[in-house]
Amino acid sequence: MDFTLLFERYPFFREAATAFVVIFVDICALVILIAAGRERRRGDRRWAKEGRGYMLACAGELYPLGAAEVLIGRHPSADIQFPDTEISRFHALLTLSDGKWRIEDIGAHNGVLVNGRKITKPCTLHLNDSITIGSRRLVVIKGDGKDVA
Amino acid sequence: MAQRQQLRQRPPIPALDVSAPRSMRRAGKWTALFLTAFIIGLIYLGWRLISQSAFYMAKSGQATYGKVTDRTGDVLFDGTQPLNNYEWGHFADVGNLIGDTSGQMSNTVVARNLSDLVNYSFTYGSGADAAVLETTLLHRANRAVYDAYGTKNGTTIAYNWKTGEVYVCVSRPCVDIAQGYAHIAEMAEGSLLCKAFCPTVPGSTQKVSTLLAAYQSAGVDTVNGQQFTCSGSWTNPNGDVIKCHQDYGHGTQDLAAAFANSCNPYFAQLVQSGIVPLSDIITSYTRMGYAVNGEKAEPLNLNGIVIQPASTTLTDKDQFETEWGALGQGKTLVSPFQLMLWQGAIANGTGTAVKPYLLSSKTTADHKQISLASHLHTDQLFTPAAAKAVQEVMTKNAAEHYYVSLGNYTCGVKSGTAQVSDDGRKYENSLLVGYCLDESCPVAFCILIEERESWDITTAQIAKVLLDSLTGSI
Amino acid sequence: MAKSSKPLSHPFLFLLVLLAHSAMMLLVACSFGITPEVLKMACAVLTADFVGSIILAIVNREACTVDTVLLLVIGMSTIYQSCFGGLSFAVKHFVFGIAAFVMCQISYAVTRNPYRAERLKPLWYGMFFALVAAIFFLTGSRGIWIDLGPITIQPSEFVKPVFVLICASSVRTQLHKSEIAGIHFVPDNLMLIFCTIVIAALQWWCRDLGSLPTFVAIAGCGILLRFCYLREKISVRLMVFLGACAVMAVVFAWKLAPEYVQARLHSDIWADMSGSGYQQVKALTAIAEGGWFGKGAGNGTLIHVAASRTDIVFSTICEEWGLFTGMMTVVLVLFLPGSILTVPPRSYYHSGLAVGVAAAFIVQMALNIFGSCNVIPFTGVTIPFISQGGSSMLASGILAGFLKAAQAPVLTEKTAPKKEGR
Repeated sequence: MDFTLLFERYPFFREAATAFVVIFVDICALVILIAAGRERRRGDRRWAKEGRGYMLACAGELYPLGAAEVLIGRHPSADIQFPDTEISRFHALLTLSDGKWRIEDIGAHNGVLVNGRKITKPCTLHLNDSITIGSRRLVVIKGDGKDVA
Repeated sequence: MAQRQQLRQRPPIPALDVSAPRSMRRAGKWTALFLTAFIIGLIYLGWRLISQSAFYMAKSGQATYGKVTDRTGDVLFDGTQPLNNYEWGHFADVGNLIGDTSGQMSNTVVARNLSDLVNYSFTYGSGADAAVLETTLLHRANRAVYDAYGTKNGTTIAYNWKTGEVYVCVSRPCVDIAQGYAHIAEMAEGSLLCKAFCPTVPGSTQKVSTLLAAYQSAGVDTVNGQQFTCSGSWTNPNGDVIKCHQDYGHGTQDLAAAFANSCNPYFAQLVQSGIVPLSDIITSYTRMGYAVNGEKAEPLNLNGIVIQPASTTLTDKDQFETEWGALGQGKTLVSPFQLMLWQGAIANGTGTAVKPYLLSSKTTADHKQISLASHLHTDQLFTPAAAKAVQEVMTKNAAEHYYVSLGNYTCGVKSGTAQVSDDGRKYENSLLVGYCLDESCPVAFCILIEERESWDITTAQIAKVLLDSLTGSI
Repeated sequence: MAKSSKPLSHPFLFLLVLLAHSAMMLLVACSFGITPEVLKMACAVLTADFVGSIILAIVNREACTVDTVLLLVIGMSTIYQSCFGGLSFAVKHFVFGIAAFVMCQISYAVTRNPYRAERLKPLWYGMFFALVAAIFFLTGSRGIWIDLGPITIQPSEFVKPVFVLICASSVRTQLHKSEIAGIHFVPDNLMLIFCTIVIAALQWWCRDLGSLPTFVAIAGCGILLRFCYLREKISVRLMVFLGACAVMAVVFAWKLAPEYVQARLHSDIWADMSGSGYQQVKALTAIAEGGWFGKGAGNGTLIHVAASRTDIVFSTICEEWGLFTGMMTVVLVLFLPGSILTVPPRSYYHSGLAVGVAAAFIVQMALNIFGSCNVIPFTGVTIPFISQGGSSMLASGILAGFLKAAQAPVLTEKTAPKKEGR
């Protein structure tokens, strides 16, 4: 059957065919959206692996390390915020690279102590390391990633 | 070792939280904000494109157009077939009101509502059925009034002061849209515009406005009891002479008599005497919609048709020009449409007129019927007390002086003679404004006959034709 | 990483893209008959889908939303561009589409490591000033094009991705403050403001104010994010203040704009339908004629109007394929910046990149679509991946690569921590 003629004679067929194609592409878009949702879970898994599941625990509170750069300080824009006066506004920065978490002092008045020792350069963190910031003691723990993986 | 033991004793391992911190989520928040704004914009755009698509088609010049009908379904314009298919002269009475799609006339029903008349819908495209615009006009009555003019030129406009429907709007000379524009140079001057919408010298019909101003300023009883003497002419303090149409004068008369006599010296003295301060007249005129002394006034609108507002010059009560202006001569200009509108506000006795409208409904190309009837009112043009008092004077005037020509209708009227000078040529136009209070024909009207001579048809006779043709049909 | 992802999703997505393109090609074949041109086009588009998906499946399987959408959109736009006003395979558009896809992968590879991408900032500044110099010296008298014989390059398009790279910043950079005469400042922020002024001045100079809003939006987002990092929390009052400032700036620019811009801002297209309003009037009429499902591929007449493939391409698509398809295509392109809503960036630099790209894409699309439809003043900007134009296509590809990088970062840093310290 010659569709070219059919389309010319009966515009309805052409419109119906266009509608069909559009709906098909729409379905495709919908699936991409669903896939994007799946991508999110994959991203979470990737992060769980990349960040080794590390979190910080302090006096019963848990602080997730959800980004490659985590700012600790008194300032409201800090990712981990403590209102203590002995903690500087921007106290310490945790960074993730090569699968290792490092902590560095970013100009804190009272310094940053890792396992009781004051650090002068970026220091790699290990599981169960204790970080002392002002009067706070944070412990590096590993979360249970079963829900994520 | 002890440390390890401590570790083992530690309560269950907490679940891993992999959510990004607040600082990272900001990126998502901002993006979501942009996306939302854009999508809202897109939805608005879609709505706008669809709702304005008929307008785009009309502007593109590629569209075909539907029909305009009167209130009974009689066709007044037809874009679906050659107009020659109708009987000869079918469109000749309302051609310059309804107009056509030729682009020769811009202030017409068709030209101003082109996008409502396009045979197009977004869903059905250009192959859609004909759109129909139904007007409030009664073609029969328009034809009767048009024919009544005979060889004279002029305009008549009438509307229902209760509902706002415009029944008649005739302007002679008129273009016959079925004949086309091949002989446009030979057409009589004024064929292409509806004079009902063009400001003209109102003549003594202006005395209605002046009277309204006087009533509002000095009170009804004061003005009614005011007496002035007319000896055929009156000289103002500056030495200028205002003549009366009655050479021998009307003698000493009160307002009702002066109104009925349309006595110029009486009204000139009313303005000059200071009983009614000039500032009050200006305020009153401005409220009625006049552009006084070059001030701006809002143009009026009738379903897209633009009507220039009335204008006058009132500067000094002792000056001839001011007195002359308050009498409706000189620089005073009012459109018949606006004169009719004020009559509407007098007829209902409230001082607020129902806004006239011409289009009652439209049937779109995809068969949707949409009502266009408006039920809007104007602002308060004058006080109800003034409206009622003027109504009394006008009704009395009609009952006493127009009983013969207007027959049994309960009317109120005011006549006027406008002295027009056009390119050095001087002539007189005859006007009649008024209303009918009868339930069968509640209309307000303005009738204008240009260059009327004493043997020609009178405005009152046209009013009779108008009322006769409307009664029983509306 | 690949192992942990569900294995079916990736090929399934590309199969869907292939099917969507096949459906569109079928429609084209029905409209034009099975001609050699149609076959050529079908071969090109479908092969590109196939090869692209296989290569991606082998090489990397990260952030596949961006890749899928990119393949889908590039194929669709090739089909649209080939059918405008009659069938003729838009080879150039297709080739640049593929090139954009490749550029996306390259820019992803370059920027996927946020630490390295930021360390390379001096390079970005160098590129920025090189491009600015190119616009200043190489384009013809105050123009925006460099004529190289067979091809012309629009360097201002390439400034966009470089500018996005400049605008993004990490928190560490923000903590690095200098002091001159007792005034503390962040050198990076100063540099951003300087670059913004340079690019704005340059746009003004070469009378290409159409892309100025895009740059202003990118810079605005850069500044806003920096503001968020290290200042107080954005309060409602501050937001209102910033909004008021932005409105003031717009009003100020509006008043100060040169005459030709003023003319555009205040023009009524319906009053000058054959003059300055010609393109928009034709564009709007075309959309009205197209209706919901268009006049059919190849049946459009808007192609005879200038810029029908670029500035008013939305209307050209709407005329032939219908408003529904046009809107859907626009929404598909929006999936690209929208993809970062699903996978959030994990570093400050990447979040800056993502917001910059979103701003660039959305502002450009808004200027193009709303401008051509007479909602806002008409400017000559392109819709990413849909409009014809090599420079714009490649630049958009690079920008899409940034989005991919933000979703699948690689966090390795061998040298930086030692250098940084305190």
